[in-house]
Amino acid sequence: MPRTRRSVLLSAISTAALLAVAGCTPGESSNGGGTTLTFLTFETPALTAKFWDDSITDATKQLDGVTVKKIVAPTSDRNAYAKQLQASGQFPDVLASINPKDFLDAGLLQPFDQAWLDANFLQPNGNAINGKTYIPPTNSQILPMVFYNKDLFAKHNLTVPTTWAQFADVAAKLKAAGVTPIQLAGAEPWSASMPLVGLVSADVLGKNPNWIKDRYAGKVKFTDPDVVAAVTKQRNLVKAGAFGDGALGVNYADANKQFLDGKSGMYLMGSWFIGQITAAQAKSFGGFLLPTDDGKQIVPFNVGGTTSVNAKSANAAKAAEFAKAWSLSPNNLKTLIETDGAFPMLKTVKLEDFGATVTPVFTDCYKYVQENNTKVSSIGWVNNDDALPPGVADLFYALSQQLFTNDDVKAQLAALDTAWDKAAKK
Amino acid sequence: MTRRGGLAPIAWLAVLLYALFLVYPLCRSLFLSFTDRNPLKADSTFVGLSNYLDMLDDPRLLATLRFTLLVVVAVTVVANVFGLAFALLLNRNTANYRVMRTLIFIPQVLSGVIVAFIWRSILTQNGLLNAALAQVDARPVAWLGSTDLATVSICAVVSWMTIAFATVVYSAALRTVPPELYEAARVDGAGALERFRAVTLPMIAPGMTINVVLCLITTFKLYDVIAVLTGGGPANTTQSTAYYLLEVAFTQNLFGYSSAIAMLLLALTAGIAYTVTFLLRKREARL
Repeated sequence: MPRTRRSVLLSAISTAALLAVAGCTPGESSNGGGTTLTFLTFETPALTAKFWDDSITDATKQLDGVTVKKIVAPTSDRNAYAKQLQASGQFPDVLASINPKDFLDAGLLQPFDQAWLDANFLQPNGNAINGKTYIPPTNSQILPMVFYNKDLFAKHNLTVPTTWAQFADVAAKLKAAGVTPIQLAGAEPWSASMPLVGLVSADVLGKNPNWIKDRYAGKVKFTDPDVVAAVTKQRNLVKAGAFGDGALGVNYADANKQFLDGKSGMYLMGSWFIGQITAAQAKSFGGFLLPTDDGKQIVPFNVGGTTSVNAKSANAAKAAEFAKAWSLSPNNLKTLIETDGAFPMLKTVKLEDFGATVTPVFTDCYKYVQENNTKVSSIGWVNNDDALPPGVADLFYALSQQLFTNDDVKAQLAALDTAWDKAAKK
Repeated sequence: MTRRGGLAPIAWLAVLLYALFLVYPLCRSLFLSFTDRNPLKADSTFVGLSNYLDMLDDPRLLATLRFTLLVVVAVTVVANVFGLAFALLLNRNTANYRVMRTLIFIPQVLSGVIVAFIWRSILTQNGLLNAALAQVDARPVAWLGSTDLATVSICAVVSWMTIAFATVVYSAALRTVPPELYEAARVDGAGALERFRAVTLPMIAPGMTINVVLCLITTFKLYDVIAVLTGGGPANTTQSTAYYLLEVAFTQNLFGYSSAIAMLLLALTAGIAYTVTFLLRKREARL
């Protein structure tokens, strides 16, 4: 063969090999007669790599011929990463804790069968969107809870506030005593959103639990006086210095540490933070609900869960089996209860049956779930019909950060209204 | 003797790869900018110039452009001033100076993500810098948590990386200056400053052109350092246009609009880089 031809052939083969490599996807594949599924996960201080590995091992025990390849989102924003994977043709077979509403228009998620949901969960429709459930309602969360340092409260003669006026007063007294009144994990929008989520859930949804549905119907707006008043409360806290200097530079891990080290009096965070409080620390910490003006207790509630299934997966049936096994695995839920403060929502297994070791902070906060009280959707966090339009939750979270730099509350809420209308229309 | 065309297949492979990974995505992005493409949907429709018109009514885009331009100007000035200063200081041909020149290039060799992680561990609220301040009873500073300081921090970190490259380019340029020119200037009675102005600056002008233009281009597309160091915060104040573009694409699902922003960024970068190159080349000719 002439040299030039051979060279051309060589480059053609290399190019083809390169293209073949580029064309490979990590999706389902044959595994010596078995099935390999891809599972998108994310890691936090509580949900470590070991947790995910152990949970996968546990869930696949009863599934013959199924192996699971873990894909870890580079940040906690697994939603955006799932979209990147979808855009590059690599949408995983199973996805952990995404916002299903973002993916429904594209028909990317497969609903779980109602009989299975009814048989296994206390609130089988807790995550339902238009009557269908895309994340098994395995556990629940209150977000935010207000965690507080009992030692600091005792030292400064403070009692747990039951009204907003008392809450603001406690913040002022802590500040006067040289203690950061409210810890904020302000560096990331999701964690910075906690005060805003708490205020709007309590003050707005507490009075009108259908507010989000009404917003979809165009009956209410973010610029309505009740929302402006609720959001202004956070702006007033910022102006009063309640969050301390540099709050927007503190990430979630650092915020946890600062609060647990006694450097701040209160911390608004999802009930998963309970998992970060060790047994030794538990006597120094407690939790209460963000107070309302009149003292009525409102529980910002979110029915949680983890596994969503790719409807277009070539192995959707196996993926659903894995998702169900993962969701019902007592070992997984036990770990979630202990490390992530998850409140279990299984019909057949009670808290004590898991054999989980929990602190008094857990049992005190769990009472809010068990009691007959006013529970409303935790705005921006729920995965049911009250979920915000795609992309709007992120803008809502970011608003909480913007309130640190922008005094014009109404203008910022007007921008959110515009974004909502645009997203809902698309 | 080398056969004519012997390397042609490799050259064609390079052209093919260039077309595959640069020309095709560029054309695809241009095409998408005229559609309402959503990454989660299979179909999209042609929307004409709608995405481009939407940019006129997007205050966040304007804010990111302002921030990007600020960083570009600050980093270009700082990197070139310090890069030239370091190159002059290290312009000796002994083993020590060669080692120092190598050391100063290290930030450029590291990936932006690694550099940003290192600096994040220094600048966060509980980072090394505040720990050092605590040792002298100073209050912690919100290096990444206040809007102004976060911008300064981003500029400082990107400059730190870019100075390394600028130093190496200026060092190479300085090696091309014939020593006789300095000798002649010295004989004419020129002092150190005068020799720098009359000999060094004109002779290293091509190096300066390269440095300024590359610095402009790399800073315009800044993403990695911001993603790790501040995540665009606090309160979106350190979002570069490249960072915003990705957020629009993958958070708001607006591929079409984000492609239009990408086209704007490309046009801006190309336009400014071309103008600056033209002006600096004219300056070189004058010198």
